[in-house]
Amino acid sequence: MGKSYFGIFKMEFKGELQYRAKAISGIATQFFWGILQIYLYTAFMQQDAVNGFTISQMISYIWLGQAFFAMRYIVMGKRIGKEITNGNVCYKFIRPIGIYNQWYVEGVGQKLASTLLRFAPIIIIAFLLPANLRMHGPVSFVAFLLFIVSLILGLFISNAISMFAVFLTFKTLSDKGSIGIVSSISNLFAGLIIPLPLFPQGVQNVINYLPFRFISDLPFRIYIGNVGITDGLIYIAIGLAWLVVLMLLGRALINSALRKTVIQGG
Amino acid sequence: MLYANYLKMHLKSSFQYRYNMMFISFNQVLINISEVLAVYLLFKQFDSVAGWTFYQSLIMMGIVYTVYSLTECFARGYDEFPKLIQSGELDRFLIRPVNIHYQIFGSKIEFSKLGRVVLGIVISIIAFLNVDIEWTALKVIVLIATYVCGIFVIFGLFVLSAGISIYTIENLEFLNIITNGSKELAYYPINIYAKWLTTIFTYIIPIACFNYLPLSYILEIGTIPAWLCATAPFFGMLFVIPCIIFFNLSLRKYKSSGS
Repeated sequence: MGKSYFGIFKMEFKGELQYRAKAISGIATQFFWGILQIYLYTAFMQQDAVNGFTISQMISYIWLGQAFFAMRYIVMGKRIGKEITNGNVCYKFIRPIGIYNQWYVEGVGQKLASTLLRFAPIIIIAFLLPANLRMHGPVSFVAFLLFIVSLILGLFISNAISMFAVFLTFKTLSDKGSIGIVSSISNLFAGLIIPLPLFPQGVQNVINYLPFRFISDLPFRIYIGNVGITDGLIYIAIGLAWLVVLMLLGRALINSALRKTVIQGG
Repeated sequence: MLYANYLKMHLKSSFQYRYNMMFISFNQVLINISEVLAVYLLFKQFDSVAGWTFYQSLIMMGIVYTVYSLTECFARGYDEFPKLIQSGELDRFLIRPVNIHYQIFGSKIEFSKLGRVVLGIVISIIAFLNVDIEWTALKVIVLIATYVCGIFVIFGLFVLSAGISIYTIENLEFLNIITNGSKELAYYPINIYAKWLTTIFTYIIPIACFNYLPLSYILEIGTIPAWLCATAPFFGMLFVIPCIIFFNLSLRKYKSSGS
């Protein structure tokens, strides 16, 4: 069983590696966005710390966001949407692995592959930039380890949320639309549009417990030291609980949608 | 008129999938609303940026949404130009006795973008109602020029990146910086960015000419001479000319991709 999951995973990985030119062009784009955002938030913050969030922490937060961009965004595997709209999905039914698991592993593979392909150059260059744009190291070694753990958790949660877009695609047969709806909610509450520490405290108190912030906000805040080690551990436990809930719910929804599926030939 | 036929054809074809179109349109509006909400929360925390308040910045966002989406709706053919090259459709365009730009305009009209145009207008109206402005005839003219300038500049950017894709064939993500990057940049007063960025996006790609400069004049903010701010959108419109020239020259070098 584990072997077949690894097979799906490896296939996605290799597929992603084919597009190296795309990755380089993507990295350049990421840099431009990163620099733009740093100037923007520096202008807003005016040298002050906000809720204990300093400018240098903000800069590291932005660069981490750019480096791990590929796993933060809610995209389902490019093929999944097409498979549903063009009907190739029926081949998935005849395989001896549950369809949710097949898609889930595909999604993780794709996100992980495009992340691994992109993050290193961005991090390295971000450390070499002039002082007003430079990224800083993790606050401590323990924090760094916890950052890695929470980042992996984030990858799984991000993918579990993408699966809701897959469900919506099943219901509406429009992959563009479904990704849009799920990602517009997710991007806002995951801190992709604006870093969550810059939101008013009252709003943060709510957002902190929603599943979206575990995708990237939590690992980044652990890295910069904005969330301490004990708090980090508690949040990771909450994140794990969310992961279980999201996966169970996603699986139930997709299975119920499948029961009513009609393959229209073609 | 030929364009009326194009328009009718695209309208009919989008109504074939009307739920899909409405769904996508609703979606894009939702994405933008979440963006506006994020900016609102940001201003709730900080009150102002570089002397601009939330509603003053919101005017800029509204203008950008309107002009960008309107251009996207009607000039989508330029945005998706690499597809025309890859599919070989462009080769067919070139042998027809109709102007190429006319055909690119006609190749795609995306009505689902109109939802965002409406959102942009609604946002701008809300923003204008919450800001104190002493309206004069000249300010109204400058505001109209601002919208026209915005459409011209965004259209110029689409043409420019279409022209570049004649050489690259592929639609490189990097080209997104030119179009999408300019759009995001236009949400906030441009002087908050570093000098080199401000210079590029004022003099080379005149983004500032359809938000920061004319609005400084209308809202009477900042220290830049009023006459300069008021005339900026008129200068900004000229941007589209070199873009079209570049595109036409590039097209002469076009080699079919063979498919």
